[in-house]
Amino acid sequence: MTLTLVLLGAAALIGIGLYGALSQQSFVMLMMGLELMLNGALLAIIGFWSLSLGGMPEGQLLAIIVMAVMAVEMAIGFALIVAVYRKRQADMTESIGTLRQ
Amino acid sequence: MTALLTLAVLATLLGGTLFAVALDRAYLPLLALFTRQRVETEAPDRLNRDLAPAWYLALAAIGIAVVPFAPDLALIDSPVGIVIWGSCEALIVVTVFLHGWSPNAPFPLIGAYRYAAIGLPVMLPSMFVLIAAALPAESLSLVAIVDSQREVWNVIRQPLGLPLFMVVALAMTLRGPMDYADAADIATGTSAEDSGAGRAVWQIARLAMLVSVSAIAATVFLGGPLGPVLPGPVWLWLKTGALMALTVWIGNRVARTTPSRMLTILWVVLLPLSFLHLLISGLIEL
Amino acid sequence: MTDLMIALLVAFAVWTGWRVFRVDSMVRASFALMLSFVAVGAIGVLLSAPYIGVATVFMMAVEMMVMAIFMVMFMMNPAGLNPMVMVHQHRLSIGAGLVAFFGLSAAVLLSPLPSNPVAPGTDVVAQLGHELLGPSMLIFETAGVTLLATMVGAVILSSRQGRFGSADEGSRPPGLTEGGDPAGRQPEGGGGHGHHHHGGH
Repeated sequence: MTLTLVLLGAAALIGIGLYGALSQQSFVMLMMGLELMLNGALLAIIGFWSLSLGGMPEGQLLAIIVMAVMAVEMAIGFALIVAVYRKRQADMTESIGTLRQ
Repeated sequence: MTALLTLAVLATLLGGTLFAVALDRAYLPLLALFTRQRVETEAPDRLNRDLAPAWYLALAAIGIAVVPFAPDLALIDSPVGIVIWGSCEALIVVTVFLHGWSPNAPFPLIGAYRYAAIGLPVMLPSMFVLIAAALPAESLSLVAIVDSQREVWNVIRQPLGLPLFMVVALAMTLRGPMDYADAADIATGTSAEDSGAGRAVWQIARLAMLVSVSAIAATVFLGGPLGPVLPGPVWLWLKTGALMALTVWIGNRVARTTPSRMLTILWVVLLPLSFLHLLISGLIEL
Repeated sequence: MTDLMIALLVAFAVWTGWRVFRVDSMVRASFALMLSFVAVGAIGVLLSAPYIGVATVFMMAVEMMVMAIFMVMFMMNPAGLNPMVMVHQHRLSIGAGLVAFFGLSAAVLLSPLPSNPVAPGTDVVAQLGHELLGPSMLIFETAGVTLLATMVGAVILSSRQGRFGSADEGSRPPGLTEGGDPAGRQPEGGGGHGHHHHGGH
């Protein structure tokens, strides 16, 4: 029962995150959508690890990896935003029609 | 037992805050604030403006709740006590930022951003120092860390730890050389637009946080409740009081530099130093 | 009791996650996202994963602080106390979000979920440590190297000085309308080193 609840919550977070990542025009808000999807993944991992894997340590490892993925996504995402802003002075997806220099 | 411990934690926080008020000689200004009228800014974020002082106070309470009052007795006896304190530190930066952002006024906002820029790099030495202290205990639990200091305190075993953590303590309590949030040079920064009881609670929360940070430092580096003759809590109070006095003294003695220079110091000097500290502590434990 | 708290925290996580895209300020959005993460961290603590839960709170508080700083660097209306709507392909996004939610929910509800909870009294933190530096050390080290590569990559991407000259050289802001005149700050012409333009082929 708890597991179902947790997984439904994770599904909702992933759904909202996908909505955000597709709909937001601002790069930073777009990244928030991605983070929210990863949040849902993290919730699902914690739920599965705790309630149906009998606490095998690999489950916790996976959660750590998800956190590392979040850190990588944030760092590279913001670096790309800075690079694009330097080149185009743009912070919205619409302003980037081409990836050409 | 839990009720008694809760009482002890709250009494320590209250007594410590009164001691901090005495150290800062701030009785009258604080009392006067409660009677003052509130002054509004234009279009503030009311929720965060009203709640930021309460959050700061709550983080101080959580911080002191993980501190062991006797060698094997803590209110929150978590296997990851030191990580809980780390989360509190990270949330302090967020709280101070929100406190400065919410009034929607220039000086508080400047204070908030200055503090965010300084507070984030302060997290890194803090984490390295705390993890180094966890190495001899082979555990992230504060109870285990206290237990590991039965023979020799961490302040002797890891001499760089306490000085580095004092920098963190100054930053977390917005004091002296690390006070980039509420400094006089930007008209008291994040609290420039505070007034009345809200301002008083924020100042009290700063003092309560001084108790919390000092209690954590006393636990991690000075053996916390360990000591001869006197009972555990008394030793904890004595050590915490001494560290509070030291923090206040340093805060009053050392001048604040410009934020840009402080950023360079944090990233170029303190971060490698704390990394070296972690490396040395690890090699000693091998 | 624990179930009730978990249910409330799940609801809080989803609600704050939803608020991220409904509030009219970037700072509020990033801290709503932080609250969502904090709720997930608290669920982790309740589901006997103390380290993962608390570390999530720690990491996300720092990350969202970074996010708020970046917002002010780049966003119009940084303090964000004016209303704003900045969305595109709205219907498609709502549809995709709903499809993802209902698809995953159906998968959750229709598949038999194994029940094998963590045995009480297991020292999960020590287990995690032994796993990280034991059987899964290679994975852990790979994550470490990836993070190092990320640091190098982020510094290279975001630095102004590059192999091929300054990154903002000849930068023109986009027009406010399609193909319109450049808006905002103009690239700095003239001044101290205006006389040696290179590039621009």
